[in-house]
Amino acid sequence: MAEKRKYKKRYCKYCEAKVDFMDYKDAGALRFSLSERYKIMPRRLTGNCKRHQDMISVVIKRARAAALVPYTVTRKHVVTAPFENLK
Amino acid sequence: MRNYENLVIVKPTLTAEEIQASVKAIEEVITSNGGEIAATSPMGMRKLAYPIEKNERGYYHVIYSSIAPSAISEIERRFRINEDLLRFVTIKYDTNREKAAFNGMVEKAKKAAEAPKVETPAVETPAAVEAPTETPAVETEAPVATEAAAE
Repeated sequence: MAEKRKYKKRYCKYCEAKVDFMDYKDAGALRFSLSERYKIMPRRLTGNCKRHQDMISVVIKRARAAALVPYTVTRKHVVTAPFENLK
Repeated sequence: MRNYENLVIVKPTLTAEEIQASVKAIEEVITSNGGEIAATSPMGMRKLAYPIEKNERGYYHVIYSSIAPSAISEIERRFRINEDLLRFVTIKYDTNREKAAFNGMVEKAKKAAEAPKVETPAVETPAAVEAPTETPAVETEAPVATEAAAE
C-alpha cells in the first residue's frame, strides 16, 4: 500500500435508510453529501451508491438554484451557518 | 395534466401585505393558465445562501399544483416579467416514485396549513424570562462582595 487511505470505504447510508425520494427543500439532509466548502462530496469518500449519488447530485443542484445551499464558499464570501433557518 | 411544484422567492423589501398580494397574484397566474393548486406551503422569510440582486433575505413560498405541460412555458414567462420575484424553481413530478412523494408533500402542506390555528399560549414565556434574569443578578453581587471582603 503506497499511500494510506484517508477515508474508510463505507456502505451507502441512503440505501440503509431506504431513501426513495429526496426533497431539495430539506437542506439539512443534504449536508452529509456536501463538503465544508459546499462542494458535492465524491462517491469514493461518502460511500454512496451510484443510484443515490445521482439522486443527491440532482437535489443539491436544485437546492443551489433555490438559494437554499450556496454554490461556492470563498474567504471573501463566507456563509455563516446556512442551515440556521432549519429547526 | 402533470404534477409540478413551484418554489417562488419574493422580494423581502415589500411589506407583509404586499408579499401576500404578490403571492396571490402568482397563484392566479397558475390558475388562469389552467392549473389546479393542490396545496401551498409558505416557508416564510429566510436567509438566502447567497445574495440575489443584493438581497440577503427572501420570502419563500411553495405551490404544489397540477398543470398541463404546455402551459409551463407561459407561466414561467409571466414569472420572469414579475419584478417582485427574486427567483423561481419549477420541478416536475412525473415518475411513480416522484408522484408518491408529491402526494405525501401535498398532505404534509395541508396538515401544516391547518396546524397554526392552534396557537401556543404566550403567557408562560414572560415568567420564564424573568426567573433567569433575577438569579444572575444575585450571583454577580455575591462575587463582588467577596472580592471587597478579600481586599
